[in-house]
Amino acid sequence: MTFALDTAAPNAEAPPANALTVEGLTTSIRIAGRWFDAVRDVSFTVGPRETLALVGESGCGKSLTALSIMGLLPAAVGRVSAGRIVVDGVDMTAADEPAREAMRGDRIGMIFQEPMTSLNPVLPIGFQIAESLIQHRGLSKRDARKRVVELMELVRIPAAEERLDAYPHQFSGGMRQRVMIAMALACSPRVLIADEPTTALDVTIQAQVLALLADLQKQVGLAVLLITHNLGVVASVADRVMVMYGGDVVESAPMRSFFKAPTHPYSEALLNAMPRVDRATALAPIPGQVPTLPDMPAGCRFQSRCPLRVDKCAERPPLVPMASDPAHAVRCWVRAGA
Amino acid sequence: MTGEPLLQVRDLSKTFLSRKGFPVPKTVAVRAVDKVSFEVGKGEALGVVGESGCGKSTVARLALRLIEADSGDVRFDGVDVLGASKGDLRALRRRMQIVFQDPASALDPRQRIGEALGEALRVHGLARGRDVRTVVERLLDEVGMPKVAADRFPHEFSGGQRQRLGIARALALGPDLVFADEPVSALDVSVQAQILVLMERLKAERNLAFVFISHDLGVVRHFCKRVVVLYLGRVVESGPVPAIFDEPLHPYAQLLKASSPSPDPDHAVAMAFQEGEPPSPVNPPSGCHFHPRCPFAIDQCRTVSPALRTAAPGREVACHLYPE
Repeated sequence: MTFALDTAAPNAEAPPANALTVEGLTTSIRIAGRWFDAVRDVSFTVGPRETLALVGESGCGKSLTALSIMGLLPAAVGRVSAGRIVVDGVDMTAADEPAREAMRGDRIGMIFQEPMTSLNPVLPIGFQIAESLIQHRGLSKRDARKRVVELMELVRIPAAEERLDAYPHQFSGGMRQRVMIAMALACSPRVLIADEPTTALDVTIQAQVLALLADLQKQVGLAVLLITHNLGVVASVADRVMVMYGGDVVESAPMRSFFKAPTHPYSEALLNAMPRVDRATALAPIPGQVPTLPDMPAGCRFQSRCPLRVDKCAERPPLVPMASDPAHAVRCWVRAGA
Repeated sequence: MTGEPLLQVRDLSKTFLSRKGFPVPKTVAVRAVDKVSFEVGKGEALGVVGESGCGKSTVARLALRLIEADSGDVRFDGVDVLGASKGDLRALRRRMQIVFQDPASALDPRQRIGEALGEALRVHGLARGRDVRTVVERLLDEVGMPKVAADRFPHEFSGGQRQRLGIARALALGPDLVFADEPVSALDVSVQAQILVLMERLKAERNLAFVFISHDLGVVRHFCKRVVVLYLGRVVESGPVPAIFDEPLHPYAQLLKASSPSPDPDHAVAMAFQEGEPPSPVNPPSGCHFHPRCPFAIDQCRTVSPALRTAAPGREVACHLYPE
């Protein structure tokens, strides 16, 4: 799958060109009564037909970024403390809850890692897919049913009409994820957030679901924010890559330049720690583990595990474009100069 | 492999019965493992790969007699495992251990780590009194954990640390063979690499043999010397690791390889529409189980189940496309 990469400077793009714009997003979560920044100053845009992959390990802030965009942070323990989120021209951060409610499931859809816990086990899947059509589009039950069959055919669920009244437990993992995709796409959203959509699936089924997503994206011009820890999946479907560590975007690049020249020490270490199916390689584990939020070092958050650490790392490095490739930005004092 | 293999599994089979349905439940038979054979040499790592429900975990449990097999033969260092008496089995288990995928549920949440590791030592009479603590501390050190971990509870550790503890417990009795059932699947990439490097070191230092069960071909390629590919309870291909990964023979092994993502845009996942899912083991297709998904299926595949045949020295494949 190849798309023309849009590498123009951000200010050259008119706002409607981007389906999703995130500017300076900072999300805080509460741990033992204190607030910590779990996502720090994250900015990006995703255009129609484009797939941006957000990559990182557990706790790097990638799922929190998605929940912030959707406005699904549990208020007691999480809040967006700064930044702007614009979906299809609507400022989600300035909108009130009813306005956000109108956007969710209509202009922006989301699919999750474990389809079984996201589907209601006691309701037939046809009903669950129809729900947003009735809610957002005011369709009658009969029209909604017709549209649901079309959607199920679109995501290639065999014998759609017969399975309309089946329950989630009657579907396999791959088919459940197709149901989730059908639900997310019911109202033809402009933006789809896919949070580890294939992680719980077997590899052959993963390939099918990724192919389906890529195909639908082409058909309906969807902007996709793909959240994953799997760099192999990124290499297969993404147009651009953003690597997160400890809530910071540490590297941002067009997909091919990322794999050609991973620049941040963490990106490089992540690739070297991954056993590969295509060739035998020596594994280089990253020493230690991700510090918890209260224990995050000031300055660069990767410094405690970084082989290139210098004194300056005590200060937080900015995310700066590389001289050799302005579309490729990195947050590192040592590597940024290159 | 040189000399007598450490573990020899011949024609191992298991059918599970379950009662399903409402209001009139019916008994259904699931052939989980169907005449599976393999061998593991001393200090060798054998990979067992396949997708959910292919029977890879069941094979490990059968060989350890955690569940009883219907038929077949398992020999560990010449001893008949399936026919062993209770006493003999206890002696065998000192030499065959298992590491589970999810160490959080494999460790008792109310038992301190020291007790969890020391229990087996005491039961098998390998250490008593104060010696238990000494052995436990040595084990913790061997897997890269501090001594004070012995006084803590499982919930105080991260996933990677818990897997180190699971490995320490498997090593407590000084086994010759460890079944590792998806030992790194629940871990982040950077931690996964730490555990793999640890297991490699232990393999070399203790001359440990592994049966390494995984769905991740990359991990198996890295850790194992030989590999067995299972599909719906049957072995479809086996052979040395680089050969099988570079040039898989069975169409299922080819599909598995093509579907496995690698971090290289020039070798992206083959997403050509390959529809179909692994069929239910309750009602497997006739003939070759893979034929409904196989692009090369011929008439024979629908009726006759292909026997394993030697395709090259050390390589076996169960497919009609290759001469018997």
